[in-house]
Amino acid sequence: MYAYNPLLLRIGVPGLLLYTRARQLRHVAKDPSNITFFTHTRAAITLLAERLMRHLTPKVLSNSQVSDRYFEMDFEWPHNAPPPSPGSFFTVRVSESEIPLLRRPFAFSGFSRGNSTASMLYERRGTATRQLTTRSPGETIDILAPLGVPFPLPRSETLPVLIAGGIGMGPIFYLAAELHSSGQEAVLIVGARTAGIVPDRTEFQLVETILATDDGSAGCHGTVTDALQNRPDLLDRRLEYFACGPLPMLRAVHQHAKARNECCWVSVEQTMGCAVGACMGCAVRVRGPAEYARVCTEGPVFDSEEIVWT
Amino acid sequence: MDLSVTIGRTTMPNPVGVASGTFGYGSEYEQLIDVDSIGALYTKAVTRAARPGNEIPRIVETTAGLLNSIGLANVGQERFVTEKYPSLRERACTVIVNVAGDVEDDYVETVEFLEEHAPLSGYELNVSCPNVKAGGLAIGTNPELVEHVTTRVRSVTERPVIVKLTPNVTDPAEIARAAEAGGADAISCMNTLVGMAIDVKNLRTVLPGKTGGLSGPAVRPIGVALAYRVSRAVEIPLIGIGGIDGPDAALQYLLAGAVAVQVGTANFVDPTVTGRTIDGIRTFMQEHNLQRVGEIASLLR
Ligand SMILES: Cc1cc2nc3c(=O)[nH]c(=O)nc-3n(C[C@H](O)[C@H](O)[C@H](O)COP(=O)(O)OP(=O)(O)OC[C@H]3O[C@@H](n4cnc5c(N)ncnc54)[C@H](O)[C@@H]3O)c2cc1C
Ligand SMILES: Cc1cc2nc3c(=O)[nH]c(=O)nc-3n(C[C@H](O)[C@H](O)[C@H](O)COP(=O)(O)OP(=O)(O)OC[C@H]3O[C@@H](n4cnc5c(N)ncnc54)[C@H](O)[C@@H]3O)c2cc1C
Ligand SMILES: Cc1cc2nc3c(=O)[nH]c(=O)nc-3n(C[C@H](O)[C@H](O)[C@H](O)COP(=O)(O)O)c2cc1C
Ligand code: FES
Ligand code: FES
Repeated sequence: MYAYNPLLLRIGVPGLLLYTRARQLRHVAKDPSNITFFTHTRAAITLLAERLMRHLTPKVLSNSQVSDRYFEMDFEWPHNAPPPSPGSFFTVRVSESEIPLLRRPFAFSGFSRGNSTASMLYERRGTATRQLTTRSPGETIDILAPLGVPFPLPRSETLPVLIAGGIGMGPIFYLAAELHSSGQEAVLIVGARTAGIVPDRTEFQLVETILATDDGSAGCHGTVTDALQNRPDLLDRRLEYFACGPLPMLRAVHQHAKARNECCWVSVEQTMGCAVGACMGCAVRVRGPAEYARVCTEGPVFDSEEIVWT
Repeated sequence: MDLSVTIGRTTMPNPVGVASGTFGYGSEYEQLIDVDSIGALYTKAVTRAARPGNEIPRIVETTAGLLNSIGLANVGQERFVTEKYPSLRERACTVIVNVAGDVEDDYVETVEFLEEHAPLSGYELNVSCPNVKAGGLAIGTNPELVEHVTTRVRSVTERPVIVKLTPNVTDPAEIARAAEAGGADAISCMNTLVGMAIDVKNLRTVLPGKTGGLSGPAVRPIGVALAYRVSRAVEIPLIGIGGIDGPDAALQYLLAGAVAVQVGTANFVDPTVTGRTIDGIRTFMQEHNLQRVGEIASLLR
């Protein structure tokens, strides 16, 4: 049945396999206490994801400020490289010098197979992201991509609710665009401290979008979970959550989903060393005997049931 | 020209290895480089029982360096044999198993166990991990304990035994001599330096365990000085480690007296670093008309 899936055209066979494989995780593990199953399935998905990784030096096509706080960079996607999927990420070697030393991870905020273009939405925070804002079209960037396990395909009987908080918007926008073009209904909830940091996106026209701001400067006054509580029409349906953003938001979404006994996928963040699974640096606490999982290769997307929420 | 280096009864095809804990078990980098072209692969530390590792976050970047507090996270010796050994056994490069433990018996038991179930090219005794309470530094800072553990491990294997030194002592040469007296075939120098980073905004150390191990270009001058001093204090070969990120840094170590090197943190930054380093050493030897890697040290004026 997947042969006819329009997603196949965009993300390729390995991407789709990752998507569907991750999907099975929760399908089969109906009993969330079945930790052994989580552990084994995660290992299988990780092996698949690792095979896609390439060392690439694509050309920057554009790089500009898209809101008060965020920038977006578009770069060429090499034809021979496996396409990214929503939720997967890449690492950039920002400088040839020793400062900053480590590669920095960023999620894909969009991908067009037709134009061979990939995008990242990023916030200027420190040394690395400040240097990134100075990259001009025509220069190349040194990246390892695509990395990590992406968001799975939504289950057919659920309404996917895509929740973005702060700079977690990037991968959620990409997921929204992808679901739209495969004809899947979805609802997008975008949370931000204030209206000025939210970029203007075409996804807002494609998918029903609810905006929530902490200061009430636009959309619903409150957090993303407040915004959801204001929509009894949505709450009447069987939902599935796809979230990326600050830890308190992810925790709130997880708790909301758990209370309703619904499935929730979260993309989590951790400081990375190698980003290829070798150093055990990017650990996040998970249930089960291993205690920790690596965000770079076993994540960044996890079933929220797997995470130990502190 | 001969790039090979001999340690005990093992010959490495070239002098550039990858440091323990920075290259996993090799397969992680398979998509990016030809892992078999590396001189030697030093595995992540293997311990008797599996270890989950330290609290998170475990990594923080500092100026030109990296502080880590991984805490020897690994699957333990039994799963090492079933999960990691099959692919390591097939490697064309030299594979050295980095062994760690809480007490002396752990090192001996693990080496005995691996001798029986997963024999590879040799062992590197990690008596220098700054991120665990027992074992590690507690052993590596005491010459008597180093000599004793080396002697006992020596008695259970014919394969090369390499002792990995910590720079966190007044006189690393004394520890090196103790390892030599215990029958070590070589010295690895050095593990990470104890360091701390504080988040001034949150008034907390960045790493929950407070301190971590510093690596990367920031530590290179310390490593080169140690290679110079320690290689002159012992007869056995010294493998230089610390901040190597290309041919220039590697040649500094080889000129200082190391017979081989290990690249650690730089693998995270540029996965092709080992290949570039091997090529650079080869070019240097051509320019100076050298036949063997061991001759490089004699060039230092
Ligand atoms: C899987 C993943 C996806 C990400 N996607 C995006 C994205 O789409 N857009 C975006 O703006 N940001 C994203 N980030 C965060 C981004 O990596 C950091 O903002 C960036 O590294 C900051 O670097 P800096 O030098 O500018 O700031 P610094 O001042 O060095 O650090 C600011 C903060 O960034 C984080 N950070 C620093 N170094 C690392 C590192 N080596 N690995 C991971 N985090 C680090 C730390 O939390 C740190 O406190 C993502 C992170 C991860 C793990
Ligand atoms: C791929 C990826 C993964 C990430 N994973 C993580 C992660 O696991 N942990 C992490 O700390 N950061 C993570 N981040 C980074 C995180 O998105 C940014 O640090 C965060 O957005 C802070 O930016 P901000 O200050 O603009 O957010 P804010 O503008 O302060 O907040 C964004 C939104 O989150 C909502 N929110 C905040 N707290 C709550 C709450 N308690 N309940 C409900 N809603 C709330 C706010 O209402 C707001 O709408 C990730 C980023 C990326 C790209
Ligand atoms: C993330 C990380 C994990 C490490 N784990 C180990 C280990 O398990 N055993 C060990 O002997 N050394 C370990 N080390 C130390 C390195 O092998 C090396 O001695 C040190 O990083 C200095 O070299 P570098 O500056 O090239 O990184 C680790 C270093 C890092 C950065
Ligand atoms: S960053 Fe090294 S294992 Fe994930
Ligand atoms: S954590 Fe790396 S040697 Fe201890």
